[in-house]
Amino acid sequence: MIDSSNLIRISKHVYEIPQTFRSDMRVPARFFSEPELIKNIMGDRSLEQLVNTATLPGILKYALAMPDIHQGYGFPIGGVVATELPDGVISPGGVGYDINCGVRLLATKIDREELTPHIELLTASLYNNCPSGVGKGGHVKLKKGELERLAEMGSRWALKNGYATEEDLEKTEESGCLDGADAGVISQRALDRGQGQVGTLGAGNHFIEVDVVQSVFDEHTAGRIGLFQGQIVVQIHCGSRGFGHQICTDYVKKFQKCIKKYDLKLPDRELVCAPLSSPEGKEYLAAMKAAANYAFANRQVLTYNIRQSFDQALAGKVKNRHVYQIYDIAHNMAKIEEHHIDGKQVKVCVHRKGATRAFGPGSPEIPDQYRDIGQPVLVPGSMGTSSWVLVGTRKSMDQTFGSCCHGAGRTLSRSQAKKNVRGTQLLEQLKAKGIHILAGSMAGLAEEAPIAYKDVDRVVEVVHGAGIATKVARLEPLAVIKG
Amino acid sequence: MVPKTQEKPVPLFRFEEIEHTADVALRVHGRDLKELLQNAAMGMAHLICEETFLSDDYDLQPVEIRADDTEGLLVEWLSELVFMIEVKSFIFQRADIQAISETYFKAKVYGKIARELKVHIKAVTYHNLKIEKTENGLEATVVFDI
Repeated sequence: MIDSSNLIRISKHVYEIPQTFRSDMRVPARFFSEPELIKNIMGDRSLEQLVNTATLPGILKYALAMPDIHQGYGFPIGGVVATELPDGVISPGGVGYDINCGVRLLATKIDREELTPHIELLTASLYNNCPSGVGKGGHVKLKKGELERLAEMGSRWALKNGYATEEDLEKTEESGCLDGADAGVISQRALDRGQGQVGTLGAGNHFIEVDVVQSVFDEHTAGRIGLFQGQIVVQIHCGSRGFGHQICTDYVKKFQKCIKKYDLKLPDRELVCAPLSSPEGKEYLAAMKAAANYAFANRQVLTYNIRQSFDQALAGKVKNRHVYQIYDIAHNMAKIEEHHIDGKQVKVCVHRKGATRAFGPGSPEIPDQYRDIGQPVLVPGSMGTSSWVLVGTRKSMDQTFGSCCHGAGRTLSRSQAKKNVRGTQLLEQLKAKGIHILAGSMAGLAEEAPIAYKDVDRVVEVVHGAGIATKVARLEPLAVIKG
Repeated sequence: MVPKTQEKPVPLFRFEEIEHTADVALRVHGRDLKELLQNAAMGMAHLICEETFLSDDYDLQPVEIRADDTEGLLVEWLSELVFMIEVKSFIFQRADIQAISETYFKAKVYGKIARELKVHIKAVTYHNLKIEKTENGLEATVVFDI
């Protein structure tokens, strides 16, 4: 068990577990935090899981974790690991089952006062148009072979089929399509699971949230991104649904054979991996990209449904109902990137599991419109609490392989949350605060109660203080759609 | 391969949910591998569905699993059921095991169709998974991604 005596404070917000802590560590483990947040993770196995990732072959510099770190399986949630090409490893468990789970932020020119009389109608319309909950299928019916095309084209498939605009794609990470996705390596099971789920939210912590921009911290950047105080915006949080879950399941299974084949010494079988140069590594990367593209298309179809909901609920009531995209980022992904490490440009595979990219100004990966200000970073809070829009910095490129936190991070298990709060009670409490909730399951609602999560504002203060992203705007929720 | 033996009823309460910060974990017990696999399936069924939401009639699915080791067999078996839940809403009730070894499992699986599910299981993980021998048989802790 790791305790505070094992930690070295490197700077105000950076802590290190030295490589000497365990003989199988190849690099030190570093995490961004502060004393109050550290208390939350001392009770579980988050840091032990972080140390485990420091054993992966080919890992460079540090095994990293963001301030929202919490216990997962294999990698901790909030973990960032960069492995060197060509022979460093790629780990399906280091991406997670919900491949390209991510967040999209949409904005409007509607201000809070204009929407207030119609918020319940809009919430109901969103709930009806955006399928959510366990086992709920989507409205998109795919012909034979169409899912394979969607998996290779991502948001471009959505554009071709009328669910997207060119501008949406420009303002999506990787323009909503990872090159190199190969539907030919996808199992029939993954296709079966993904077939009916395009344009669905799913359950668990996934949501659609209508927010108001409550505070702006950087007027210039907010203006450039298209945000202003009092404005109505919408967040979507979901991923690649059963398609991605099955792809990860398939490759965690296939990779079990790699332990022997590549003589891997792993502290946890969920960390199974293969060299990026190996046939297994290349195949997983092509499959992961297909799942990532599914997730981009999924959030894009939901965007279409959200636009329809605004039209249906607000026609004749609100003049300008245009819903435009701010950005869409992944927070469960492995990416081949170039980073400046010890004076050299090095090609690496950056695993971000419950962590986002936060590329600084000038990075070619950032859309043209945002390139000089840095990549927008979307950090949703827990249900009923603030969310944040940040921008990436050059410092993040040096310190975290251009990565940042992805949310608040859990502190209580789902069963503890349910012991502490009842869904109906929570619904009333949030209603009293002016937050409308439509959820498929009251138990599911209780599991996502704000008390089950860290304080997102503290998490953001750490990344802002450490300089790996800077604050642009804080959002407050008005309505939440959950499965 | 172990030959087919006469089925005993699956004992209840041979699994328990244990605390996990982000996901769900089940500790499962069984007098032998056969029972461990069935109790794990039963535990997962209890996690995801209320009995009142199940159909009256049984459905039958043949299942055949191969794995490299016993832990793999447990994960693959539960992953098979996760797939059947997602595409058919098929909830495990019991299995007629036709053949079983540490790396092979063949059974006729009887389940009911759920009208509503309370939890969505994304996947079954290998996280810290080890089937251990205990005084009473076998024990394993399985972490599910939900």
